[in-house]
Amino acid sequence: MRGAPTLSPIAQRAERARRGPGPTVWLRVAALALFALVPLVIPSFQATDLAIKIAIFGALVASYDVVIGYTGIVSFGHAMYFGFGAYAVALAVGRFGAPTYGHLLVGFLSGMVVSAVVAVLIGAFSLRVKAIFFAMITLAFAEFSGILAVQWSALTGGEDGLSPRLPGVFAVAYDGGRVFGIPLTGKLVTYYIVLGVCAGLFLVMSRFVVSPLGRTLQAIRDNELRAEALGVPTFALQIASSTFASVVAAIVGGCYLMWVRYVNPESALGVPVMLDVLLMVIIGGIGTLWGSLIGAAVLLTARLLLPDLRGLAVLLGGSELAQRLTARWLLIFGVLFILVVFFFPKGVLGTAREALRRRRLGATPES
Amino acid sequence: MKRAAPVVIVLALALLPLLGMEPRVYLTLTVAGLAMGMLIFLVASGLTLIFGLMDVLNFAHGALFSWGAYAGFSALLLLNRRAGWAESPSVLLNALALLVALAAAVLVAFVLGIVLERAIVRPVYGQHMFQILITLGATIVLEEMIRIVWGPNDQVMPVPVSFQGSWDVADVIVLRVPVIAISLGLAVYAGMLLLLHKTRVGLIVRAGVESGEMVQVLGHNIHRYFTGVFALGSALAALGGLMWAVFRQSVSPAMGGEQLIFAFIVVIIGGLGSVTGSLVGALMVGLSYNYVAFLLPKAALGVNMALMVLVLLIRPTGLFGASR
Repeated sequence: MRGAPTLSPIAQRAERARRGPGPTVWLRVAALALFALVPLVIPSFQATDLAIKIAIFGALVASYDVVIGYTGIVSFGHAMYFGFGAYAVALAVGRFGAPTYGHLLVGFLSGMVVSAVVAVLIGAFSLRVKAIFFAMITLAFAEFSGILAVQWSALTGGEDGLSPRLPGVFAVAYDGGRVFGIPLTGKLVTYYIVLGVCAGLFLVMSRFVVSPLGRTLQAIRDNELRAEALGVPTFALQIASSTFASVVAAIVGGCYLMWVRYVNPESALGVPVMLDVLLMVIIGGIGTLWGSLIGAAVLLTARLLLPDLRGLAVLLGGSELAQRLTARWLLIFGVLFILVVFFFPKGVLGTAREALRRRRLGATPES
Repeated sequence: MKRAAPVVIVLALALLPLLGMEPRVYLTLTVAGLAMGMLIFLVASGLTLIFGLMDVLNFAHGALFSWGAYAGFSALLLLNRRAGWAESPSVLLNALALLVALAAAVLVAFVLGIVLERAIVRPVYGQHMFQILITLGATIVLEEMIRIVWGPNDQVMPVPVSFQGSWDVADVIVLRVPVIAISLGLAVYAGMLLLLHKTRVGLIVRAGVESGEMVQVLGHNIHRYFTGVFALGSALAALGGLMWAVFRQSVSPAMGGEQLIFAFIVVIIGGLGSVTGSLVGALMVGLSYNYVAFLLPKAALGVNMALMVLVLLIRPTGLFGASR
């Protein structure tokens, strides 16, 4: 289907081993190295913050891509699991006395369990209805969880959210002395731990999508009736996939909390986050796991830089309309977004891959 | 008999809260619920056309709602400043002011609808994912344009004096704006039924949804009809937006987004493409919200969702939806 030569799996593996790690593997290693170097090379907090948020949201978007791109389920409730993870860790660490590593672990685990249970329930209830209904039901659930977080303020802190203190080496006050001349602060330790977790999640997910289960999910995505006729338990596998993705999202949510040390309904739950995730997955390319990083990088960088466009208003003569126009950088963003969807519907990575494939095909027409 | 079942269920559910409250309170809540339901129906009716009939997931519906509200707001403001129509005690002038505002809202949204359909929706018919994305982009742009033109803050709607306040009918409080909304909603409902089921245009649109190619082969320019339906749906969104703004006595750029989810829920409860369904769905949502808000204030937030999940579990195609 993908124009790949039909070798047996064993032969494929032998072929791969002979060729050694491909260019994409080196690209991934380089990306990881780049992330690892950012806090050492660029000492500004803004750059570090941007880098780790790209990693965090990249992992979140990748987990969404597992659902939407590899399984073909359009869900609008994915950000909810991210919020569950963030809130679970925040509650576990912040509400039960002095924080310890045990609290942190319990937070992560409970976030994962809650997410898994909710994902299974929602899937069992609503995956049987038409695809578009599923999207709306998940949207309603996400909206509801956001409202719940605001209303149940005794537990969640309401609109103000929670800002827990983290234990041990993650605490702001932690000082690990100097390692190779670099001051080892709590923030730096958190950076590397979170980066490591995100990298690990990426590995797990990239393995998941090429596993037999992942392949079967893609078969369901491409032709559900056919997969069902072949004896694939489509319903159960779809639930399995969305549950897996929800657990990943919960872990990522916990990481987000560890970095930001703050969570409120608007920043972690509900529709605004979901929109961001949706935009990121489109910009990166649906069905390209690693495109998620690109999508996250583009959107988050644009968020950071576009508001600075206000300086441009001075160049435009400083008229009031020009000022209003540039103050509303979201407008520019919206127009750009529509253009991207129109002209690069496969996203950055999808389009790049297509171009590469075409070039390769052009070079050797037989393959 | 089978078609009557949903109606019976709705009526039974509507009477159920009587067990928990006095009849007078019940009547007040029912009137408020009906009014709220009608306001929601005004928004949802446009979505029924666009989402239900044409199967286009139009997330820009909320933005069109806001645009309608702002267009009407500008018209009312202008009339009030130049001629004082909203502040004058004359009922006739007040009604005229509201009519002009409604016309302005409908006109603006109609034009916007045509532009939207031509420019961005037409290339993505039949592709849900891209419809969502494109219309989301359009929502961002439209909302930001509101912020540029009218400023980012909430503003007070100059509601004509005759329509402010409430009547007190036998101890039952009846707000005036919802009464207008109810009559407007009924008119829209009747108009849509007539248009879709009794006219040639409605026939062609319904046939075009079933099989666009066939209708084109028979010599009808289906694209033009679809543009018209989209524009009409947009105009209905604007109508709902203006009435909502008059009801709330304020306008804000993000007002549409909040209503969009309500409207989607209603269309899904009612069944895709069924005008009667979205009327019933809207009334159910309005009524149950008011009853539950009185009986169990904390649970009111989840009641719409619970309603939707319940309906979809019993009837996966919605109350009045054809099993497609």
